[in-house]
Amino acid sequence: MSGISYGIELFLTSWPGMYVSQSFFHSLIAAIIIDRAVRIWKISDPLIIQRLRLIVILFPIFSFPVYQAINHERGSMAFRLSTLFDSNRWLQIELIGKIPLGLPFLLFLFLVAVIFLVQEMIPVVRHTLESRDDTSGDFPGDANPLVREVLDALPGEKPPLYLLDDEEAVIFSSTGRDPAIYLSQGLIMMLNLEEMKAAVAHEMAHIERNKRPLLIAVFFLRIIMFFNPIVLLEFRRAIQDEEKICDDRAISLTSNPHALAETLKKIYREPGDGDLSQSRQLSRLRDSLEEHSHNIHLESRVKRLETRQPQTGERGLIPFTMALAAVAIINYFVV
Amino acid sequence: MGRKFLSFAAFAATVSAVIVLFKILNWMPSIIEGGLLKRYGSIDEVRTKLQFTEIYVPSYFPQRFAWPPSSVLAQTSPYRAIVMEFRDREKGEVALTIVQSASESFRPDKQIVMVQTKERERYPLKGRDADLEVGVCKNEEPCSKISWKEGQYSITVTMKSVASDLTRLAESMIR
Repeated sequence: MSGISYGIELFLTSWPGMYVSQSFFHSLIAAIIIDRAVRIWKISDPLIIQRLRLIVILFPIFSFPVYQAINHERGSMAFRLSTLFDSNRWLQIELIGKIPLGLPFLLFLFLVAVIFLVQEMIPVVRHTLESRDDTSGDFPGDANPLVREVLDALPGEKPPLYLLDDEEAVIFSSTGRDPAIYLSQGLIMMLNLEEMKAAVAHEMAHIERNKRPLLIAVFFLRIIMFFNPIVLLEFRRAIQDEEKICDDRAISLTSNPHALAETLKKIYREPGDGDLSQSRQLSRLRDSLEEHSHNIHLESRVKRLETRQPQTGERGLIPFTMALAAVAIINYFVV
Repeated sequence: MGRKFLSFAAFAATVSAVIVLFKILNWMPSIIEGGLLKRYGSIDEVRTKLQFTEIYVPSYFPQRFAWPPSSVLAQTSPYRAIVMEFRDREKGEVALTIVQSASESFRPDKQIVMVQTKERERYPLKGRDADLEVGVCKNEEPCSKISWKEGQYSITVTMKSVASDLTRLAESMIR
């Protein structure tokens, strides 16, 4: 037995190792079951889909310690021999007679941890620090007649709206104690009144939903799963669901899905031209991948708005309860 | 009602499919790499099926333990290891375990748990340097444990008895 195999086995049979490997497989099984539940019950409401997705994100955080508390013998050899799936049987297989499969598995999780750090953690921290003190260059949007008209036309409580001196089409909202909507001069030039109403209504929906910042709480919890690729993907999909939820809320305020679809089309990012230097190719590749995924998401939102049909499928607790029960029972026997 | 029933049936089928899939996935490693940890009916079965011939068994065996072992777990991959458990004839509980492993990382379940160690010492076992632990298990029952290296293997014998019985049994395992 090589030193690598010895180290990998030692780690995988330790508490942190068991937590890492089991939470991965628990989230994988949860993702499969939730995906099937959404299809079987033909759930199209993004709010319900997002709630189901939270099972995949949150369940593996707690599953291992809870199962171990229920049954202390769950990690034992006797339990592993008679259980449904023992991950160590795979992870201890030696490739080419030397390298245990656990090594590429752990390296893959390490890569996911790096992606999480670079693409999520650092941008979030940077954004938090920047948004704390940078309000220079913003001025109240009420002065603009189009913006005033938009605010007058929309029902409900309106947050402050600020204009950014930017030619790009930009709109976003800040949440927290003093929520506000920021939109750029470029966007005002680009959108007509109906489209502007749709865009502002969408941001108002974000602010309204952030009064109970569920996704922020989930984000902090999901940091524990920094190594888990399934949780990484599901959290991103939950954020995309959030956009669809806010689209639906915006439509309920404006009754004009077409205008929102047109707005999204206008902020579709065109792929950049290819005359950048060689040294920036990696960063360009990453940017273009991000743009591509952003555009795919926008396209799916536009398509959804254009082919808008009444929301169908089960809305109640049945799919949620059944999926959660199935995930909890199956995963108990996955070690 | 019919649609609801169909949904339940489809979900039940999905859950069953996931269970079957993971059952198959759990079985596949034993096909890819034979000799993974498994329960065997007897020591002879381990010898023949795994070609695991170098198994250390005691020639001195106190009457109070039942022969053959009540449980035999063995593997040859990723390394050779065997766990034998013997029951007390009267009490029916596991009272003797013999663990032989080619890796220090092998950690079998502890069927005999020493709750208090009273003495720990180096013990000369037929020229080997063994570690001997004497203590008590649950219910203040005397128990003892001895470990030593035998070629490529680490051997640990744990017994619900006083140290003299254990050392005699351990010595009888060395040819």
